Amino acid sequence: MDASHSGIQEPFDLIRLSLSERVFVKLRGDRELTGVLHAYDGHMNLILSDVEETIMIVDHVDGAPEGHATVNVAKRKMEMLFVRGDGVILVSPPSRT
Amino acid sequence: MSFFGFEQNNDLENEKRRFLEGGLSGAKQEDVAVYTWGEESYDGLGDALQEGGDELNDETFGAAEDIGKDFDFSGTALPEHQRAAPHQPAQPPERGSSQQQTSQTSQRASHLEPSHSSQLDAIWGNKSPFSVLPRSNGSSRTVDQLATQSPKYTHKPSSLNLGPDLHKGVHTLEEIEKEMLAAAAAQQRRQQQQVDEHSVQQELQEMQLQEHMLHQQHQLATPGLLQSPTRAHAQRPPAAAAAAVGIQNTATPPPRMHPHSQSPRFHQQQQQHQIHLLQMQQQQQQQQRQLLELQEQRERQQRQQLLQLQEQLKLEELERQQQLRLQQQQLQEQQYIQNHLLHQRGISPALSDLHHRGMSPAMGERARRVGRQSPAIMSPQGTLDVPFAQNMQYLPQNIQMQQRLLAEMAQAEFLSTMQGPGHSERDLREARELQEMLRVEAMRKIMEAERMEEKRKRKLDKIAHMSRYNDLMTQSDKDFITRIQVSQLVTQDPYADDFYAQVYGAILRSRMGIATSEDRVLRFGSGGGVGLGLAQKVHGRRQGAMQRMEAQVERIVNNARLREKEKTSLNNLQGALGRTSGRSYKAAPRQLLQVDTSNVSTSPTTSHATAAHISKADSTKQEGEGAAREAAKMGREALATATEGLVRKDPLTHREALVKLEHLYDLVLDVEQRRRDQPPLEEVEEFEHWTVECNAIIDQIFDELMVSVPLETSHPHPFVSLITPIKGKKLLPRVARIFELQRMQVLLTLIVACFLQLDVVRQAPLLDSLEETREVKDLEVQTQAFQNSVVQSILPVIAKAQMRLVIGLFGILLDECTVHSIAMTRVSRTPGIALLTLFLSRVEVLRHNVATGSEVEELPTAEEMQRWHMMYNLLFDMIRPNLQLLFPSVRLALQANTSFVNIPNADVIDQPVWQFLATLAVHANEEQQQALVGGLREIVLENVATATKGWGNDSEERRRLRLANVNIFLHALGLDSSQITL
Repeated sequence: MDASHSGIQEPFDLIRLSLSERVFVKLRGDRELTGVLHAYDGHMNLILSDVEETIMIVDHVDGAPEGHATVNVAKRKMEMLFVRGDGVILVSPPSRT
Repeated sequence: MSFFGFEQNNDLENEKRRFLEGGLSGAKQEDVAVYTWGEESYDGLGDALQEGGDELNDETFGAAEDIGKDFDFSGTALPEHQRAAPHQPAQPPERGSSQQQTSQTSQRASHLEPSHSSQLDAIWGNKSPFSVLPRSNGSSRTVDQLATQSPKYTHKPSSLNLGPDLHKGVHTLEEIEKEMLAAAAAQQRRQQQQVDEHSVQQELQEMQLQEHMLHQQHQLATPGLLQSPTRAHAQRPPAAAAAAVGIQNTATPPPRMHPHSQSPRFHQQQQQHQIHLLQMQQQQQQQQRQLLELQEQRERQQRQQLLQLQEQLKLEELERQQQLRLQQQQLQEQQYIQNHLLHQRGISPALSDLHHRGMSPAMGERARRVGRQSPAIMSPQGTLDVPFAQNMQYLPQNIQMQQRLLAEMAQAEFLSTMQGPGHSERDLREARELQEMLRVEAMRKIMEAERMEEKRKRKLDKIAHMSRYNDLMTQSDKDFITRIQVSQLVTQDPYADDFYAQVYGAILRSRMGIATSEDRVLRFGSGGGVGLGLAQKVHGRRQGAMQRMEAQVERIVNNARLREKEKTSLNNLQGALGRTSGRSYKAAPRQLLQVDTSNVSTSPTTSHATAAHISKADSTKQEGEGAAREAAKMGREALATATEGLVRKDPLTHREALVKLEHLYDLVLDVEQRRRDQPPLEEVEEFEHWTVECNAIIDQIFDELMVSVPLETSHPHPFVSLITPIKGKKLLPRVARIFELQRMQVLLTLIVACFLQLDVVRQAPLLDSLEETREVKDLEVQTQAFQNSVVQSILPVIAKAQMRLVIGLFGILLDECTVHSIAMTRVSRTPGIALLTLFLSRVEVLRHNVATGSEVEELPTAEEMQRWHMMYNLLFDMIRPNLQLLFPSVRLALQANTSFVNIPNADVIDQPVWQFLATLAVHANEEQQQALVGGLREIVLENVATATKGWGNDSEERRRLRLANVNIFLHALGLDSSQITL
């Protein structure tokens, strides 16, 4: 199957493949999302449904030695989410096990 | 005096000037009021500020000569000076009216104002050469109306005008006395004429109004000229002055809004507002005044005259004493008056004014009208050195103030009536009642008027505020902006760019029963256009706007096309020396990513799921690997072909499936678009061309769905891979619309043949879990999509299927189940049950057709029916042992170790099973029916019991559903739940 047939000519075509599929999105600010991708645009703004957001919160304990910070993970779920594109680091299909 | 407002500017120039001015002006600075130009609360009166008090300049700067007013172009101050001009004895009525005007002004401003309009002062104060010009009756009267009825336009009275006093040295005391006596005599003479005058005056009032209107209209014609001094000295200065002030009063306009630069429309508007305002006030006040006047007039004329005479004499005496300033005793007396006045002022300026003169307000007003006061009355007030700021406090700045004064006047009048001598008790009471009634009425009217006025004022303010920016943009400015906006909306494919609105609009329209097939799109010849979105309720204005936009867009497009043509033609190169610039870089900025779309050498969608390669080096490496794999695969395929006669392939990866699906969607959308653009049947050639193209695409879709690929090509079958993602499932209904029946039958056969390969079937047992994991949820969603999309799209195919096909498909399904022992558990889950139900019900319909003899064609043969019974028995035997396990709720209950009744939402998930069992029961023979009933007795009983007796806390809704479920099955057996007794 050649490329012209597959219709993949630019990076966004790859994201198009994941439309209405579950995707993993890494965001700035130690956040990650998984959700079903419904729409995107050139700014990488995304619309996701059935989203689970994972937020890493690094707590520096006073007096603890360097690099001994504890990481708390907070999760929350949303029905539908608009993700502003400037926070998106990567979009990928979720790893299949 | 205005420069005193800029005291902060402590530059040397100021310092020097202030030093030169010395003590007198320095002391004055303290008393200067703080002006607030430019602030929000600024009422614009500053514009009307009369730069009076220049008389002091002589004293201050030592200029002894009479300067005159040749260069005083401020204009606003002039008319009053003029009106107070000489020739009083010659024109008594006129002077009367002029006095009325000034006294009214002074009443509103302050009774302490030095009335330079009184005869003597006027003589002294008048420095203008124009003052000798005669005045027309009408103009002065108009001023009266204006001044009294529109306090908004009364400029600040010249309270600083101390002119008369400064010129006292010019005349000798004897002269003064002589003048005064003459004036007093003239007044007495005039008082006799008073009665006649009153009747005349009332007639005149109506004339005045008309005159006034005429003047206003005249002003409309020449608004710009009104402020010029020559005009002011001509016959209509007062109206001009008032109008000029009125214009200035309407807030500080932005630079472009200056009267001269305004559009005539704006100006006219302003004028009309003013006129309207004036008219309203006129009506009100005339009503008030007439009411008060008429009733007072008759009964008290004599008394007034007496009182007035006495008062005048007394005050003239006072005046003389004051001016001479000889005796201490007299000074004390004067001081007493001052104190008295100051005390009175505490109540209200109007009242104190009246009390001071010792007459009723109506009388006072009338007196002022006719102008019988001697200058002596005013003079003592003028000499009282009350701070100016205090005077300004009483400046009538709006109508409210004036109306309140009127109210107070009415009250004062009422009081004086009470004290009036020579009335009997009865008369007094009647008069009092009448007064009271009138007063209440007047108050009510005043309040109402005030409210209305307030409202209108607010509205006017708002309009004035907004109209500041009227006409700031020219029509071409507006067009320019509209052009920019519209150009953003024009696209090559207006329908596609407005797709969702268009489709939604079409759905809405079809729902409302409006059959309009046309798209809501504006199209232009070149293929560009604008999507109009949803059809809205079209109002007249909106329609107009749409048409305007249409025309404008058309024009823009045409212009752009012309420009383009011009650019490409060689004509524009004529006369161009050297290089001609091509495209502006500003118009088309350099792209950051320049992807060569025409020559993409990489194939990111080879079997290994890698991301797209952007760098060349990477891609070549990948290509090599890909090539190797491809070669190996081809070898294997060649081998397979050689041995089995079919091509074995690796199953499609998820990624490949997605890529294919995207392409399929493109094709499907293309076909859908083409179907919308179907040419009319009349244009045979075009229609044929269209048909060929459409069919070509549909063929391509069919190919790419890989439906006709042999079953053994891969496991799972490529088609199964394609409908594994949810969007693959959702594609089927759209494909079903464009495929003909035969292709759909192939598709159906393939689905049935590969049924066990389907993800929803394979993973179906996963659903028998109460756990809410991601997988379970995703599977639920997938199953839902399968039911709604795949089953729905094959349903019409099965509904039309002949017996042979049904038996064939049924056979395929059962074959699978017999071969694989586990298959039955999978098939008996939701999707399989649905498919079986479809087959069973179709056969039932076919059997029914045989019985009734309808659908004569394609009647199932006896042989086919026999085969059907065989297969049915096979199915029944397979299901029979685990009848109860067909129910998802039972399976769930088994896992959770609880009763199936406790499973949440059990009735909803069990419903398809009840339907399946019903169709099963219809086909069953007696023995099979008994087996069914025996196997399901427990569940039926349980359901009926919980539904009828209301065990548990189920809602009414759920119980009804539960009973309905049971009844579906029981009805098929010819029973009903009501027959079951517990």
